Amino acid sequence: MRTDPDLAADAARGSEAAFAELVRRHQGRVRGMARRLTGSQAAGDDIAQLTFLTAWQKIGTYAGGTFSAWICTICWREFLQVRRKTRPEIEFDETAEVIPFERPTDRQDDKMDLTRALEKLSEAQRVCVVMCVAAGLTHREAADATGWPLGTVKSHVLRGVEALRQHLENAQVA
Amino acid sequence: MREEDTYQDLASLFSAEDRQLDAKPFVDDVMRGIRRRALMRKLVIAGVGAVGAIVAASQMPSLVGDWITFDDAIVTGIADARQQVGLLATINPLWLAIAAVAGLSFTAVATMERA
Repeated sequence: MRTDPDLAADAARGSEAAFAELVRRHQGRVRGMARRLTGSQAAGDDIAQLTFLTAWQKIGTYAGGTFSAWICTICWREFLQVRRKTRPEIEFDETAEVIPFERPTDRQDDKMDLTRALEKLSEAQRVCVVMCVAAGLTHREAADATGWPLGTVKSHVLRGVEALRQHLENAQVA
Repeated sequence: MREEDTYQDLASLFSAEDRQLDAKPFVDDVMRGIRRRALMRKLVIAGVGAVGAIVAASQMPSLVGDWITFDDAIVTGIADARQQVGLLATINPLWLAIAAVAGLSFTAVATMERA
């Protein structure tokens, strides 16, 4: 099987087939990340699509490293851009302990406990958990993507994971 | 043990969710979007190019008629431009640096631009 960097190199030379393979491999991770960041399947998929369109234009700038970290960084930036457009009055506050913006409500009743538990985290914790736990980025990669200090990311992941486990346990008990 | 390994169980739950997403319609949508953008770009370039070609063609008769004058005008223009740049550099060399940065930026944008 061809590696991501090989496919990216081919895509940079204009191969749509190579890029389609990259999209196929990473769409789950990126859509999952965008859906969890926005709290909406539709908005998440829109951001994921924008992410891959931007990635196609910038594929020549991919300089090795894990492709998933590169594409997730683009996804994070697309998410911020979309949010600035829709809610320009809200600046992201990584120290916030409450959810500072109204999240869409296209929720389904049978939504999994995992998603419900994730929504109970503070925004900063959710971002870090989504990036490091759900999307599989290392703490360093998440810190590079968000521009937050490594220690802050580690702390949010630690507390977020703890809170997530607690919510999941409570949900199982109930 | 790496810190990332302490939440492997949760990571597995998330990735199980992600694996359930149907890839094909999404991949098709993305690739359709890429082709649509490429087509739009080609159309815009072709349209602007066609307009430019029409304007250029409309000027051809007078250009050909006054070719010698036109030729002189180019030579004079280049000489004037050299003088202006020299003068500008003498007054403040920063202008040359600004022009170089602008030129490099345009080149970089043109190089990074994809179909």
